[in-house]
Amino acid sequence: MSELAQSTAFDIYATFQQFLQDDQISPPLAAILSLAEAIVKSNAGTMFELVQALNDGAEELKRRSKNPISLNAGCELFIAFVTLFPHESDNFAELKKELEQQGRTYAREAISFRDKIAELALGFIKDDAVILTHSYSRVVLKALLHAHKTKRISVYVTESRPRGLGLKTHEALTAAGIPCTVVLDSAVAYVMDRVDFVLVGSEAVVESGGLINYVGSNQMAIIAKAANKPFYALAESYKFHRLFPLSQYDLPTHNPNILSFPTPTARSAGHGDAPSSAIPDATTKGPVYPETSSSSTERAMSQEQIAKNPGVDYTRPDLISLVFSDVGILTPEGVSQYLVGMFAG
Amino acid sequence: MGPELHTIHGHRAVETLAAKLRRRQVVGSREAALETVLVLRQVVSRARFSNIQQLIAIIREVGRRLAEAQPKEHTVGNTVRRVLHNIREEANSATKAPSATTSRNVYTISKFVLQGQPRKQTASVPKSEAIATLREDDPDDPDSFARGLKPVLMEAIQDVLDELETVYENVSKNAKDHIHSDEIILTIGHSKTVEAFLKSAAHYRNYTVIVAETGPSYSGHDMARSLSNAGISTFLVPDSSIFAIMSRVNKVILGAHAILANGGLVAVAGSLLAATAAQAHSTPVVVCAGQFKLTPLWNLYHDYGALDFADPSSVLGFEEGKLVERVDVVNPYYDYVGPELVDVFITNDGDHPPSSVYRLIKETYDDDDHEL
Repeated sequence: MSELAQSTAFDIYATFQQFLQDDQISPPLAAILSLAEAIVKSNAGTMFELVQALNDGAEELKRRSKNPISLNAGCELFIAFVTLFPHESDNFAELKKELEQQGRTYAREAISFRDKIAELALGFIKDDAVILTHSYSRVVLKALLHAHKTKRISVYVTESRPRGLGLKTHEALTAAGIPCTVVLDSAVAYVMDRVDFVLVGSEAVVESGGLINYVGSNQMAIIAKAANKPFYALAESYKFHRLFPLSQYDLPTHNPNILSFPTPTARSAGHGDAPSSAIPDATTKGPVYPETSSSSTERAMSQEQIAKNPGVDYTRPDLISLVFSDVGILTPEGVSQYLVGMFAG
Repeated sequence: MGPELHTIHGHRAVETLAAKLRRRQVVGSREAALETVLVLRQVVSRARFSNIQQLIAIIREVGRRLAEAQPKEHTVGNTVRRVLHNIREEANSATKAPSATTSRNVYTISKFVLQGQPRKQTASVPKSEAIATLREDDPDDPDSFARGLKPVLMEAIQDVLDELETVYENVSKNAKDHIHSDEIILTIGHSKTVEAFLKSAAHYRNYTVIVAETGPSYSGHDMARSLSNAGISTFLVPDSSIFAIMSRVNKVILGAHAILANGGLVAVAGSLLAATAAQAHSTPVVVCAGQFKLTPLWNLYHDYGALDFADPSSVLGFEEGKLVERVDVVNPYYDYVGPELVDVFITNDGDHPPSSVYRLIKETYDDDDHEL
């Protein structure tokens, strides 16, 4: 983003952003790498101080990131690892170095996780399969490209408004020679009967076995369930997140602004004359009906309207057939076993 | 790995069993599993190896041959995996001393994810038994490893065998807690496990069993005969009436041919009909099966039924003459019943919901054996 990284003091968020520049590195990994960097830069002299510093770093990342869910999963994993790391070294500096190495090694290994997942998913993709996917996910893309080497597949991908990341998937798949069509987010139910199964990536997989992913996944899962189609989620194990949302509104990304209604004062007060529309006030602007975007061919949501919408949603575990991960193919319930192993007891 | 591996190829017992499996002279999941253990016991007792990898390669080779001979008898592969798992465990504990020191310092994040929190390793408790002196690849005496380990391995295989031999008793151990007085139970096919389960409950409870005749094999007839001989009040009904009588049924008890990793199962054709009818009436579905039927496979393409086909003559015989030429007759042998239709699996290792089958499989077999 900015040139903050050049500043003398260690800026964990800038480091994080820098790691993210690499196309292979996803937020949880970047978070782990940034925390590993933070270990080196910190002048902690005891374990307590070190964990404190890491927690502060994680907090900083969380505060400054718009969507902290997946990076949080990485932070938690690394901090839990650091706290529990069995060591005998008398030299604390050496231990710090070792921990930093561990973080880097893991990030290096983790790059291969997607290949592992692609290999696991291959068995579930039959020849001539028609697959529906949502938005853009590196691991899904990898799985599809891998399957394309040995099997004939065709893919429907949702446009995934408002960011339109589905078009990015479409571009990549078409370039690889996979027949691919973009469908409207609102046409998922229409297309569902044509597909063999649904394959989505994930932002995080939570303790219930449910899935947090780019908004629209939940409705896709509900429709898949209604049409009796398998719904598979792909998730690297560093996306296992210790969280137990009971509804959409329990997600850390939810805030009061999302789905809020405009205050009715604007309408009742300025009934006769046009409300003072000069100021782009989020609350008074409200629905943008014909006056603002009057071109009859295309109407688009305003930025403020988009801001009132969620970026990610939560999919219940009973809607998910299987979770493919580098640790194996799991039923949604199986995910919690790993989380309990790491964080409980 | 070396050429030792191929000495096993001509092993008589392996070839005999492979042929029997191929010709369907050995059928039924327990039968196949038992035969497999017996063959593996012979193979291990004769095998020459100087380290554990060689032995494992030999067993895998045998396992692959047997599994390929009859890929639909999943228990063959399961038994091989189980034996491999037990053998590895024994070998690890026998040669613990040297490996304990090396494994300490390689604790990594990926291990943390896989195995959870580090246990307080009680590494400094070497079993001061004679086996601690076992050495792999001893240059002076290459057979010493095998000689030292074999008694333990035999014991490990015997454990698998014992489990198979007592599987019916252990599954039906708690039958009386699952079946209550005056209940009406529906079952389909002739599963030995279910038969033992029902008979065991009959010692304690008075209840009624409705058996679907399970065409076209009509194995339900045998089941009904056997149950009524045991003094259980039994009704035999045609398969077509399963839905109609479901409203009076308290519980559906099914047998399984194989239990898949997602918690679904492969069972005699008609099971899906019974399970779906049960779901429509919210009747509980109970599956009785031995642990050896747990299979680390997924029902990959969600193909219903098309798993194995039996002789079509029982559906449409040649006496139908003209008709035979004009129609294709299929007689699928198995149904695939999805995990959402099953309430509980009763095994010789306790009762489990479908969602934890995957965990049982992880505990029973080693991950690298899933592909033999």
